[in-house]
Amino acid sequence: MSGASPLPTVEDMIEARELTKRYGDKTAVDQLSFTVRPGRVTGFLGPNGAGKSTTMRLILGLDAPTSGTVTVGGKPYAELPAPLCAVGSLLDAKGAHGGRSAYRHLAGLAASNRIPRRRVDEVLDLTGLTEVAGRRFSGFSLGMGQRLGIAAALLGDPEVLILDEPVNGLDTEGIRWIRDLMKSLAAQGRTVFLSSHLMSEMELTADHLIVIGRGRLLADTTMRDFIETNSRAHTLVRSPEPEKLRGLLEAKGADVRLDARGGWRVDGPDALAIGDLARDHGLAIHELTPAHASLEEVYTALSKDSAEYRTHAVRNPKETVR
Amino acid sequence: MTTTLTTARAGFPGALAHEWIKFNSVRSTVWTTLATAVVPVLGAVFVAATESLQPDDTVLGGSLTASVPAQMLAAVVGALLITGEYGSGTVRTTFAANPRRATVLAAKATLIAALMYVLALVSCTLAYLIGGAMLDNGRYAQGEPLPALFGIAASFAVAGLLGLAVGTLVRHSAGAVTTVIGVLLLPSLLGPLFGDAQRWIAGVSPTSALEKLIQTSDATAETVGSLGPWPSLLLVAGYTAALLLLATGALRGRDV
Repeated sequence: MSGASPLPTVEDMIEARELTKRYGDKTAVDQLSFTVRPGRVTGFLGPNGAGKSTTMRLILGLDAPTSGTVTVGGKPYAELPAPLCAVGSLLDAKGAHGGRSAYRHLAGLAASNRIPRRRVDEVLDLTGLTEVAGRRFSGFSLGMGQRLGIAAALLGDPEVLILDEPVNGLDTEGIRWIRDLMKSLAAQGRTVFLSSHLMSEMELTADHLIVIGRGRLLADTTMRDFIETNSRAHTLVRSPEPEKLRGLLEAKGADVRLDARGGWRVDGPDALAIGDLARDHGLAIHELTPAHASLEEVYTALSKDSAEYRTHAVRNPKETVR
Repeated sequence: MTTTLTTARAGFPGALAHEWIKFNSVRSTVWTTLATAVVPVLGAVFVAATESLQPDDTVLGGSLTASVPAQMLAAVVGALLITGEYGSGTVRTTFAANPRRATVLAAKATLIAALMYVLALVSCTLAYLIGGAMLDNGRYAQGEPLPALFGIAASFAVAGLLGLAVGTLVRHSAGAVTTVIGVLLLPSLLGPLFGDAQRWIAGVSPTSALEKLIQTSDATAETVGSLGPWPSLLLVAGYTAALLLLATGALRGRDV
């Protein structure tokens, strides 16, 4: 990719204000307000049915909001003069016709926004699809389909990328490729907004998180703050005398549970305190690992009951714009 | 944004180019379109070879017997132009590339109308010439090929547009194809059931306008009404335009 502006500007932000979408009596998106900023990968997280895909369709003007607004670079999507050059999007792997070749699919899209045809070759090369460009889409694997979707998203060299579950169906190599691509696009100053239900993947890719549940905002914060604010630190301890250790820890008021990996998962005293306690009582310690809950655990806890969290949603006041 | 892409714009010319590439890169629409062009010619060869004409038929009418089913195929292509997008899910890709939906529909309409007009003009002229060459001179009245052939070609364009309007409203391929064939076929099939009203029922269908234009002996005032061929064509074009406006409104107001 070339020519990305070195300094991100507000022109490339995605802004949702009180965005609401109802289908009949079902509310898919409920007064959602957030800002997606350039220069970083923003993860959009939520369980299936949380309203992620609906929100993305609202951003792209495919669905009309019941109330509220959403703009890209200050404009509703429908008013962008050349949408593909402003916003690249991947909604699902089925964005192409089964009977059409990858090349023709991209050539058609290029023509629609009067993008030079050479861009088709460039994005095919970038996504590693040059060899199969003449093959019909119906013969594509899920992974190749995702690559074609990403090729289409990059066609207009857009400053904003909106990708719904881009790693869906990809093998580990493909996942790593997307992760690196997203990070490099963000590093170029682009706005990258991607949804996923794979929280472990998000933890590795996203710098910033927008979490929704039942159409409502649960969190809008940096990845690190999200985990730190929402997880209590705990310590993994292993000892050849586990029952004795547990007794000592519980006497100190610690919450001790069996960890799935074996050993004790201790909430309360930190590693230092546990180590000292064991030494004072002559106990051998074979493992002592301070740990934070993974995003997966935090997220599971958070989305268990979104209603409980929405009153004190974890918006971080310290969060600053880079 | 790179300076090379500053000329980029999603307007009508781009939408038309996109529609053309989509049209000619999928086999179903290409083959149905080719069939639309081939059927009248094959029909002319068959009718002339078997001399299956009424004594009061014209060479033009006899040669273009198969233009009636071909017109239905034109309407089917028009419907597939949009229902294919809903079926494959490309409709979202299309509207993400150009969110001005009325422009996209106008591009589809321009494509189908121009394509069908040109193809039908060539195909029906060829059919008439073949029929004329194969049939005995003087045995049948010749008919008036000009300017009728231009009207015949226009009736194919109108049928394609009617298919596009119905396809936009119905969205599903099977439902849309059934509906357009019904609109074209049912008035003449069910017309006789309505007695004196037959010429009103059957007379308003795109098929009857075509039958009048090809001057077939089937197009009598009793069956398809006494409205002339050109006013009939105008009538069909009129309600097709109204239906297209309705489809545009529906397309703009709907979620995709």
